[in-house]
Amino acid sequence: MTDKLPLAGIRVVELGTSVAAPYGTWILATMGAEVIKIERPGTGDDCRQWGPPSVSEDFRSFFLALNAMKKSVVVDFTSEEEVARLRKYIVENADIVVQNLRAGLVEKFGLSADDLMAENPRLIYCHSAAFGTEGPYKDRPGYDPLMQACGGVMSVNGEEGRPPARVGTSIIDMGTGMWNTIGVLTALHQRNATGKGCRVDASLYETALGWMNYHAAGYFGTGVPAKRVGSRAPGIAPYQAFECSDGYLVIAGANDRLFRKMADALGHPEWADDPRFVSNPSRWEHIEALCEMMDAVLSKHPRAQWQDKLDTAGVPNAPTQSIDEAVAHPQTLALGMLQETDDQIFKLLGLPLRFDGNRPPQPIGPPALGEHTKEILGD
Amino acid sequence: MATAQPLAGLRAIEIGASVAAPYGAWILAELGAEVIKVERPGKGDDARHWGPPFWQDMAAMFLAINRHKKSITVDMRDDAERARLRTLIIKTADVVIQNMRPGKVEALGLGADSLRAEKPSLIYCNMGAFGKQGPFKDRPGYDPLMQAFGGLMSVTGEAGQPPVRVGTSIMDMGTGMWAVIGILSALRERENTGAGMTVDASLYETSVGWMTTHIAKFGIDGVVPGRHGSGVAGIVPYQAYECADGFLVVAAGNDALFKALAGVLDLPHLTEDARFRGNPDRVKNAADLNALIMPVFKAEPRAHWQEKLDAAGIPCGPTQSTAEVLDHPQTRALGIVQDPPNDGPALSGLPLSFGGVRPPLTRGGPAIGEHNEEILGDPRLDD
Repeated sequence: MTDKLPLAGIRVVELGTSVAAPYGTWILATMGAEVIKIERPGTGDDCRQWGPPSVSEDFRSFFLALNAMKKSVVVDFTSEEEVARLRKYIVENADIVVQNLRAGLVEKFGLSADDLMAENPRLIYCHSAAFGTEGPYKDRPGYDPLMQACGGVMSVNGEEGRPPARVGTSIIDMGTGMWNTIGVLTALHQRNATGKGCRVDASLYETALGWMNYHAAGYFGTGVPAKRVGSRAPGIAPYQAFECSDGYLVIAGANDRLFRKMADALGHPEWADDPRFVSNPSRWEHIEALCEMMDAVLSKHPRAQWQDKLDTAGVPNAPTQSIDEAVAHPQTLALGMLQETDDQIFKLLGLPLRFDGNRPPQPIGPPALGEHTKEILGD
Repeated sequence: MATAQPLAGLRAIEIGASVAAPYGAWILAELGAEVIKVERPGKGDDARHWGPPFWQDMAAMFLAINRHKKSITVDMRDDAERARLRTLIIKTADVVIQNMRPGKVEALGLGADSLRAEKPSLIYCNMGAFGKQGPFKDRPGYDPLMQAFGGLMSVTGEAGQPPVRVGTSIMDMGTGMWAVIGILSALRERENTGAGMTVDASLYETSVGWMTTHIAKFGIDGVVPGRHGSGVAGIVPYQAYECADGFLVVAAGNDALFKALAGVLDLPHLTEDARFRGNPDRVKNAADLNALIMPVFKAEPRAHWQEKLDAAGIPCGPTQSTAEVLDHPQTRALGIVQDPPNDGPALSGLPLSFGGVRPPLTRGGPAIGEHNEEILGDPRLDD
């Protein structure tokens, strides 16, 4: 594996914009697939415009994070000739197509799963949709915050009595990119046995529902929808963020043994024998009283001091870190999560996966718009 | 294509507990793999007891991520039982997926190196807490700790309010998804070369992975991203607005949509106001703008606004509870909520379809050790 990545030799055509499809194909590219990104002339992928510019206006932060290791090919969809050339290229050369264009577009251009798979039955075609391929909402556009709202994620996020809170990163878009990848890799495995490709359907809305997996199971069991519990984990106490004199520390005293150790570390061994706190269900029942007592103690000293005491006692804990702290932490650096392209122009976050101990490198940064049009469609 | 269970014929052994490894193995099971869950005799996986609610002694949470699996019990302190598990893996397994605490599988003689030395085609996936090296490599990890430590809590919730945890286990479940991505890629490599691989994923790497666009931005401008409640950084109006009966998220991400929104709200003068002319102006004067539009939304129920916003082509969606989501016609039309063949509770299926078919729900969760005889009684293990 050291000299070859697991997806070497696989060719992927991305008809994608924004986050969901590009994130999925970034995963494939990082694992060794050749990913050809199709963009419109002029502005290219919308996300080339998002966030602050890095080395040039062409490479803003969102595009940088999601498109390293890809090739860019420009196709003018108003030109029948150019579209025909792209279609021919896909049918003759591609193993996988991933697309998240708005509903109806690929059909209009003769680039749908049916069109392409009729000509190349080995093709794997992944449609990364908004609300899915059926149902009353199938033609509505989708955006991460809307999906967090109508998929239920916001209903379990934040504090009761406060306005809704969005998860501060695009877990619906990126999650859908991950499901796209799981789907196409599974189809690739199947093709190896049968010789036949397959259409894979994923969508933002289904991904949102997927994140609600165990909340759904709980609701079907009780008939009561899950509520918002701030930094707490429902039914487990203490298991949340507590304010120290200089910031917040998450403490997980999730069972009776850890709770006793925690009470000792906080200088109040008597808490472990308090009838209100002897078991997890009783601690959850009296959580407000417990939090009040813990807050009074923890707020007196800085979090590093509490971390030391809790670490020594073996009680799991972690400070709430901001991005600058997380990227500079020795653990992040030791893992080699931060990578640099061979030309030393781009610093990139690596794939959160290793194969035989090696994290796939990202020697090549994101492509300039149309950088590979001639190489790919020229012959 | 033909089947919605493309991994049929593949056998995976799960030496896992709680959420991360069981969720990854659940995905493999949904895709058609035969997943054998190894549990300790007596109590089994901790997650069996994470209720109420319970169904036939299984917590809803356990059921959600362990259906379609087989369960065998192995007493790891018993040399003979451990040896039989090792034989089971060597003779019959394609994949091992494990999330025991750091060093444990090695101590039991069930680590990647030891098993792959005897069976080079084995794909072995470790799911760690903080990853394979570094000062924190031996620390335990839990979803809320990783949400705090990896930076997600620093961008979630409202500025000035206490931290909030994302209300679902995106570190555990995300790590399960990465494990599957790694295993499927390794499978592709094995099909080419015949050799297996060791795949390493961890909760901490997953948590840093979720921050990729924030990290890219921070690397460029050095500005530490903050918390924006229901909104996003740099786009206004793009957040949840309270209506008479609940909240509606409205995404007017460009000037044309803002103009349309002003029309819907019957506040046409907004578009003439210099404070709100372009998106950068609206970001700067968000408080003034919200003071003008919030009372208008509040005056009518969300269905009223949704209808008008839909007609004007402005993206919007209500914040729905779990109950509303599961009851929504869109959810029903997709068939993602599945009824099991027995009288167990409905469960949500895989968010993926193959050839238009979603992998079906055919079996609930296994009782502890339900498949001991079938799996461990296999005569191949005695040869």
